Parts: sequence; C-alpha cells; structure tokens
Amino acid sequence: MAKMTIKKEHLKMTSVLDWLLMLLIFGVLTLIINTFSYKNPIIESIPGMLVLIAITFVGMLLAKLIPLKVPAIIYISLIALVISLPVCGAVSEFVYTSTSKISTLALCTVILAYSGVAIGKSWAEFKKMGWRGIVVTLCVILGTFLGSALIAQFVLKMQGII
Amino acid sequence: MSNQAAADTKEKVCWKEYKLHIAVLVIILLAELVIRKQTITFSNAQYGSLSIGFQPFVFAMILGLIAYLAKPIKWVKEKESAAASGTMLIFIGPLLAKLAIASGYSIKAIIAVGPAMLLQEFGNIGTMLLALPIALLLGFKREAVGMTHSIGREQNMGLIIDRYGFDADETRGVLIIYIIGTVIGSVVIGPLTGILANVLPISPLAYAMATGVGSAGMTAASLSTLIDMFPQFETQMSAYSSMSNLLTQVDGIYMSILIGLPLCNLLYKVVEPVLGRVTKRGRRNAELLKEKVKEAE
Repeated sequence: MAKMTIKKEHLKMTSVLDWLLMLLIFGVLTLIINTFSYKNPIIESIPGMLVLIAITFVGMLLAKLIPLKVPAIIYISLIALVISLPVCGAVSEFVYTSTSKISTLALCTVILAYSGVAIGKSWAEFKKMGWRGIVVTLCVILGTFLGSALIAQFVLKMQGII
Repeated sequence: MSNQAAADTKEKVCWKEYKLHIAVLVIILLAELVIRKQTITFSNAQYGSLSIGFQPFVFAMILGLIAYLAKPIKWVKEKESAAASGTMLIFIGPLLAKLAIASGYSIKAIIAVGPAMLLQEFGNIGTMLLALPIALLLGFKREAVGMTHSIGREQNMGLIIDRYGFDADETRGVLIIYIIGTVIGSVVIGPLTGILANVLPISPLAYAMATGVGSAGMTAASLSTLIDMFPQFETQMSAYSSMSNLLTQVDGIYMSILIGLPLCNLLYKVVEPVLGRVTKRGRRNAELLKEKVKEAE
C-alpha cells in the first residue's frame, strides 16, 4: 500500500469547520435540485438533508479520532445503518422517513458534477491511453458488473426469492 | 477514496472556492432543468425496441468536464479541479449515508438475501473471464494481469504497485484501467446498466447487488439508473446496493490478494500462449517480452 502511511494529525478546529461549511454548500445545492427537479417540498426535505450531513460529519470525525486505518466512508455507512435499524424504533422511523424526501438521483447529480470538474485533471493522461485501453476498461467494468449480477441472480433463484 | 484524496482536502480550503461552487450550481441546473433525462430508442421490426435512458447526472458530469476543458471558460481551471477532487471525499458521504439508511431499515430483507450478497462478491472472476482474453487479443502481455485481475480502483492499484513495483508492466496495466475508469466509469455504467436491465432476464434486485462493485461514483450512477427504471423497488435496491458497496470496501482487497490475482495469473499462463499469438501485435509483443526476459538473465 504505497500511499496508506499518512501521519495522523491533530484534529484542527479549522478543518472541522471546513467540513461543515462544505457539507452545507453541498446540502444547499442538493436541496435546490431536489426541490425543482424532483419535486420534493423544500420544508419537508430540510430535516432529511440535515440528518445526512450530521451522519457524514460524525463519520468523518470518528475516522480522524479513532487511530485505525479505517476510511470515513465505512464509519459513515455503519452509523447510518445502525441508527436506522428497526430496533431503534422512533429514531429509525424518523431517519428513514425524513431522508426518503431526499432523492438519490439529486445527490448523484451534484456529486457527479463535482466529479466531472475533478476528472478534468486526468484528461491529459486519459488522452494518451489509446483505444485498446478503453476497450479493455469497458470489458473490465462490464465483466465485473455482469459477473456479480449473474451470481446474485443464480443464488436468489436457488433461494426462491425471485 | 484514497488517503491521497484526504491529503488533498487538508491542503485546500475547499469551501472558499466559490467559483467552483457557482460553476457547479450552473451545471446542475443545466443538467436537471434544461437538458433533463434523455431517452434514445432504437427500434427494429424483428427484435423489438431498446430504450437507453441518459440521466441528468451523466450530463452533469460531462458538463463539468467541458467546463474544465473549454478554453473560453476561465472560471473553472486547475485550482478548481483540484478543489473538486478534494470535495469528492466529503460529498460522497451523504449519498452513502442515504443508501446505508435503506440497509439498516430493511435489515431483515438483507439477512434473507445474505448468501447471494456474499457470493456476488466473487463476481470479479467475471472480470478476468471477459476482459483477459480481449486484452490478450489486443496485444497486451503482462499488463493484462494488472488490467483484469479486478475492477482496478484505488485499493487494487495499491496492491499491484506493492506486489510488482512501480515500473512493472502489471502496474502500467492497472494504471491504464484506473485512469480510464476514473474518466469514463461513472458515465458509462449508467447507460450500461440501463441496456443490460432491458436486454437480459436478470432481476433488478440482482443488478442492485452488482452496483456495489466499483467506486462510489459508479455505484451511485448505476443504482440511480435502476431506481429510475424500477421505482417500486427503491428501498430494497438501495439497501442491497449499499450493503454490497460496504462489503466491497471491506473485502475487496482480500478478494484481489487471495482470488483475483492468483487466478488471473493462472489464467494468463494458460490462455496467453493461445490467444496472445492470434494477432500480429500479440506475436510481436511476445517476441519483445522474450527478449526482455533474456536480457534480464
């Protein structure tokens, strides 16, 4: 793992504030799309957005504070999963209902818009790659996706679920 | 998401990049409200018709890239692009949280499909079965092992560099897949999912499990396409997708070490002498490789 050895730095107040501001910008952008394109009323969507921001924020904090090489996205997924387990009762119900007002497609559009700007940097390298590399990459993506889907389909059929 | 991206975020105060955020606002409004979802339908009297939907996120990504590349647009350049890659690490959080909430909420449904969920992780065997022969036919030699042992994201790249060294052919291979995958992965997997779901008799639930195989951006693009096509399964599909993505995050590297890489090397040994000599380029590269090995001795 070449780049996995980065020193754990002390948690700085400024960087924590930075995350919060970033997440707020993201929240506003997503709510705009969520309201105008996916027709979810804005007042009903705000609690859900705040829940998603809070989970992300806590997940990132944990990744910083806990001295393990576990990426933030794993903490984020685990927190979200645990608080919405049915045993959490009213909390789970609130988390699920409020966030159901936030369209997955809206989140996706905002993330991929940033991602489009970000891949601009890789464009020069990308152009040097040649068509053979592109063909193999497409086969790699198709092969993995189809491989997983076929196994899942087979096992779900065997179990009689679908 | 590598720690490199984390390091980038630390260096740059991303929220201050107001030019980037305003550019993104314009891009998402254009993609969602002006271009909107586009459907291309191919119809053929004999085979029926096939519709491919292009979701707004596909256009958002392309517009983002155009904003960076287009010379007249001075608003979005290197600085903004660097800040944008820093934001990715943070912004993927709310999406993964949203999907994981579906997982927790329908945990019973997940436990019920546990066997399928665990076994589909072996799907990356499909990667080499399909892609290794093609790579060999196109004349790739040892690069092909780096290219096709897995889907070639950050952690797989780390493994190959660690195993073969930075200047090795295998590393060049995995870098090719990584760079091309970064640029085209999220854009192609959306429409690809749409086509497959139209053409093959596979359940949307099985596809939902498969959406977790690649990067988070690819998961999002692929799952969103499924949600648009099968809105009645939204919660269930989000739950499966999130769990599959989480599993891949945890076991992906071990899958590559224990299964992907050894199996791909074995397959290479068996298949290369046959398929690697079919094309002129393949034979020429085989000669070159032989000479290189001789020199090393």
